[in-house]
Amino acid sequence: MNPGLEHYLVVSALLFCLGLVGVVLRRNLLVIYMSLELMLNAANLALVAASRFVGNLDGQVMVFFVVTVAAAEVAVGLALIVALYRRRQTAHVEDLTTLRL
Amino acid sequence: MNNAAYIQLFKLAGPEMLIALAALAVLLVDLTLMRGAPVRARRVIAVLLTGVGGFAAALYLLQVPLRAVSWGGLWAVDPLTQLVKLGLVGLAVLTAVLSLEADYTDHVGEHFALLLLATVGLMVMAGAADLVLVFLGLELTGLSLYPLVALNKAGPRATEAALKYFFFGALAAAVTLFGFSFLYGLSGTTNLAGIAAALRGRGFDPLLALAVVFSLVGFGFKVAAVPFHLWAPDAYQGAPTPVAAFIASGSKLAGFFLLGRFVALALPESGDAGRAALFTPGWVPAVAVLALASMVLGNLAALAQRDLKRLLAYSAIAHAGYLLLAVLALNGAANRPAALAALVYYAGTYALAGLGAFAVAGHVERHAGAAALNHLTGLGRRAPWLAAGLAVFLLSLAGLPPLAGFPAKFYVFAAALNTPHAGAVSLGLVVVALLLSPVGFYYYLRVLKLAFVTESEKRPAGPDAPGNSPQGGENRFGVETAVALLAAAGVLGLGLFPQWLLGPLQAAVREAGG
Repeated sequence: MNPGLEHYLVVSALLFCLGLVGVVLRRNLLVIYMSLELMLNAANLALVAASRFVGNLDGQVMVFFVVTVAAAEVAVGLALIVALYRRRQTAHVEDLTTLRL
Repeated sequence: MNNAAYIQLFKLAGPEMLIALAALAVLLVDLTLMRGAPVRARRVIAVLLTGVGGFAAALYLLQVPLRAVSWGGLWAVDPLTQLVKLGLVGLAVLTAVLSLEADYTDHVGEHFALLLLATVGLMVMAGAADLVLVFLGLELTGLSLYPLVALNKAGPRATEAALKYFFFGALAAAVTLFGFSFLYGLSGTTNLAGIAAALRGRGFDPLLALAVVFSLVGFGFKVAAVPFHLWAPDAYQGAPTPVAAFIASGSKLAGFFLLGRFVALALPESGDAGRAALFTPGWVPAVAVLALASMVLGNLAALAQRDLKRLLAYSAIAHAGYLLLAVLALNGAANRPAALAALVYYAGTYALAGLGAFAVAGHVERHAGAAALNHLTGLGRRAPWLAAGLAVFLLSLAGLPPLAGFPAKFYVFAAALNTPHAGAVSLGLVVVALLLSPVGFYYYLRVLKLAFVTESEKRPAGPDAPGNSPQGGENRFGVETAVALLAAAGVLGLGLFPQWLLGPLQAAVREAGG
């Protein structure tokens, strides 16, 4: 049996949900960040699969841009985490509590 | 694509390139020529370069093409996008002038370069006609603004605010991208108009509804609509005030313009109106829920705030709710031009008033160390011009008649009530908005009462006691006063003569083909 579009989309949805669960449940900023990257890659998988089955390359072109943006996001995100660690010696969400309602 | 097509792209994207060049120039000059110069001089030079870049881009933008042009379906240029970009450049230049007093960082070049790059991102958002460019515009803006929020590295809250902003932003971007991938899979194209054409006549489809709702998350984050608003109060409070002013004004204007274009271009109403017209595109109920939640939660939470910047953040959330009413009114084709003009008018005047209010908050923060509400006591005597500006901004935000907030609200409500097929929903939302107006009045007037009526109960002795030492310098006519007066004049002028902005807007909408 050849895998169809729905198989790819199911895998992609699973990856997306795994990433979302990681973002919500994990407490370490770096792990949360990795989960976010997983969500982006789930979208990439869906884009590439859709591009293959739709029959044009628009989706694959978009994936190139998304990969580039994700790389830029790593730079900014890690810089912010490093800045936090230098100031507070922590990388956990429980410690982000200075700002409250 | 041949060479001629690329030359045309250079022409169409000229303003963005000028701003990007200005960003590089600011960075280069600050790193080479101004190395070792006093920080103050570096800031002045950076503001001058920013002003030159903004002026050049504005001149370029004023050569409005007579009719809409698009480059390969990716990049739309029409009178309406040019007007919005003009507003964005203006807001960026005002923010740069406010940043003249940005004594919290030595990274002058980076500060202004990031500000200009964020402006480029906002302009890309305004001109995007394709999912790729929508995503790139959102991300370019976000990735420039996150470090700007964190720039005050010595401050106790800046890094935390930036991290919250970053994580919520990255999450929203991922969810939106997932929605975009499904939209692409369902329609087979990334072009916004092409998506509309491919989806037309399709019935209610759970996958499509999921794709639409996921796609809206990123926009909801950008415009700080409930339930994607959690970053806003923290980011506004922790960020340096000029940056917060830019997030509240420029990011809001571009975000709402992009959201309006996205729903109008990519998710139009289905062919057979009437029957299930409310559900076929799927975005109408989602946006209605966002609008209701934003109006209620924003207004009620603002009541409990003790910090001016946090209060402005919750008021921004409430205004996002009102603006979503205008987005909702884009539903009907006949109503669309009026609703689009009302949306841009409201977002533009809101941006001006919000920027001015943050200018005042920045002044208070610089002199008292924080922008807590009780630091406002006696502002009417200490800095009468600033206090008068604050009164103009807050009363305009509350929607009092001679100021720009009143016609803005009026046109948005009128557009919402004229929406076909969604009468009951729109009517209900407008009623909720009107019922919440007194709440808004209450918290805005509470701030003004502190600024004008309440006497400061104790005057700390000694020249270096907090709140007293800067008294001598506080009357000085600083950049904050200048920006506040300029914005107040704009708010008052647009309130007395709404046609000054609304007329060109309506003409632009007509020429852009709605």
